[in-house]
Amino acid sequence: MPTRVLRLPEAIGRRLRRREAREHLIGYLFTAPAVAVIALFGLFPLGYAFYMSFYAWRVRQGPFRGLRNYGKALGEPQGILIFAGAVALLMLAVWVWRRARRAGAGRRLPGLLAAAALLVAAGAAAVTGWGRMLETGDVKFLNALPVTIYYALGSIPLQLAIALALACVLFQHLRGSAFFRMVFFLPYVMPTVATATVFRSIFSSRDTSMANQFLALLGLEPQQWLAESRPILEILFGWQLPDYWGGPSLALVSIILFGVWTFVGYNVVIFLAGLGSISGALYEAAELDGANRWDVFRHITFPLLSPVTFYLALIDFIGALKAFNHIFVMRSPLAQGTVNTASMVIFDTFYLANQYGYAAAQVVLLFLMILGVTYAQNRVFGRSVIYD
Amino acid sequence: MIESAVDIVQQPKSARLHVGRQSERNEVESSVLKTCKRAKRVCLYLVLVLGAVVVALPFCWMVSTSLMTLGETINRQWLPGTPRWQNYQTAWTEARFAVYFLNSVIITVTSLAGLLTTSILAAYAFARLQFAAREVIFFGLLSTMMIPEAMTLLPSFLVIRGDVIPLPGGSWLNTLQGLTVPFMASAFSIFLLRQFFKRLPVELWDAACIDGCGHLRFLTTVVLPLSKAPLLTVSLFGFIASWDALLWPLLVTTRETWRPLMVGLWSLVTEAGPETQLFMAGATITLLPILVIYFLVQRQFTEGIMTSGLKG
Repeated sequence: MPTRVLRLPEAIGRRLRRREAREHLIGYLFTAPAVAVIALFGLFPLGYAFYMSFYAWRVRQGPFRGLRNYGKALGEPQGILIFAGAVALLMLAVWVWRRARRAGAGRRLPGLLAAAALLVAAGAAAVTGWGRMLETGDVKFLNALPVTIYYALGSIPLQLAIALALACVLFQHLRGSAFFRMVFFLPYVMPTVATATVFRSIFSSRDTSMANQFLALLGLEPQQWLAESRPILEILFGWQLPDYWGGPSLALVSIILFGVWTFVGYNVVIFLAGLGSISGALYEAAELDGANRWDVFRHITFPLLSPVTFYLALIDFIGALKAFNHIFVMRSPLAQGTVNTASMVIFDTFYLANQYGYAAAQVVLLFLMILGVTYAQNRVFGRSVIYD
Repeated sequence: MIESAVDIVQQPKSARLHVGRQSERNEVESSVLKTCKRAKRVCLYLVLVLGAVVVALPFCWMVSTSLMTLGETINRQWLPGTPRWQNYQTAWTEARFAVYFLNSVIITVTSLAGLLTTSILAAYAFARLQFAAREVIFFGLLSTMMIPEAMTLLPSFLVIRGDVIPLPGGSWLNTLQGLTVPFMASAFSIFLLRQFFKRLPVELWDAACIDGCGHLRFLTTVVLPLSKAPLLTVSLFGFIASWDALLWPLLVTTRETWRPLMVGLWSLVTEAGPETQLFMAGATITLLPILVIYFLVQRQFTEGIMTSGLKG
């Protein structure tokens, strides 16, 4: 643009430049209202939370506390350092493993062994560090981490798989598929508070609740559902596993089921858009080569959908972290905090306990965690995404 | 738009099927193939119907429970003996739904008006205008989509309380502006509209420019009438966001004056105790407006998401 302007006669150039300046001005004017609101209620709060996290702040600002709010959440520095060391070891293990896979056949084995050893060391350090942190830190806050991970790992793969299957069926263009698409999308647009209220009754601990009647139909014992704090593996198989190995509590599983019910429809619609953008020529070529349906799915549809899957996994992960309203409505004191994700704990610290400064420190820690996980997800899965 | 793209992709396939069908007619095993195809189609329909049943069942449960007596909800039949429509009336009066419903409508309409104004202007600027730092600002806004509400809640609350910056009128707690202003812009809406505006042909603007049309007039007279589907999508999402808001109103309303419907439903749930039928009736009431709107606009809505959910 600028080079062309220079070659034009002086008067026209000036007018063009004036128009360009006007366009800058209009651009800023048009974006200003949106930027102001989002900056004030979306970005500024993060910076302000960072500032608040260094103060004692109960409703009103108190004295400077330095890092003590963070210490209260995470416990003694020793534990944190050991845990951070575990994370570093894990990253090192991934790096060594990647290099070993690329190395020649002769040097591959020692590299893989080294990676395995590093992995074991990382695991041991993580367990020790985490144990220390639990002893000295805020158990409520720290337990939110496994709960959040369970929630994300429990809901994301499930809803992706169901949505992909439904989208593939809808894409066959059977009569009435537009109707089914609309129905599947319904839970996503309904007010969460209302639908969560309904699920509160479906998963209630009464013998006559819908979930228990369903179990009775299968000839199974009624369960406590949302009021059940025991982990799922203990209920299913009677295994008494230590720490977090028993899996999410049945209460959290109920909430995960609600989440899947809600979000599958959105994933279906996005998958459908992705399926529509795959070139039909590829399918024809595959048919000419005599590929069967599974081959076509395995070697064409799935790889070419990977950008969509990756996008959805990211969106669903963010959704899992954002999950609030339905957990807030569905949680029961009987679940003993086994359904409290990070968002819930932060809200409780702020709203119920009125510890603003401490809640702000938790916000900052959650933000760092989101950054870390998004980065890791990009590094690990971003490479296996195939763009056509 | 996607629909037509899908049709184009599908066309060769259906044409092929047609040819295939003709040649099949000559073959002896054609009837076997046909039943095979029919069986496959039945299977596909079974999957769809199963999915639809799983989606619909909770809604049926909700409506059926809302018409029961307390005894029936405990002894659990699938259907109420005689539908008790008065449950709706009880829920409506007991939970002061008349006031809350009106509040919710006012709050939602106000935030929606603000949301549409800011998003349309910003999306147009990001799609069509050249200005310094455009991309930086755009991605800065987009990055806020990743931040959970629970994280921004506390400082936003302090802002609304007037602790951080001076607000006109001191504190905005218990006011309409306190409930609506934070919802008056969303990165998602801007993103969605920008994707659409970008795809409109440049020739439109060139023609308007020759006619001496300014950006604002071009936007209102040419761009907006062409963008009904994305505007509906943004509106429905904005509507849901304000209608469904629970946390924020819970925080910024300490008095009843401006309390919206969801807070009413929430207190009904916590106070009604075992009277399931009442909060089911309440849930149905809060859900109905969105249901009606969704059925009216669902076609443009899903298409709006499909065309913009992909390809940043």
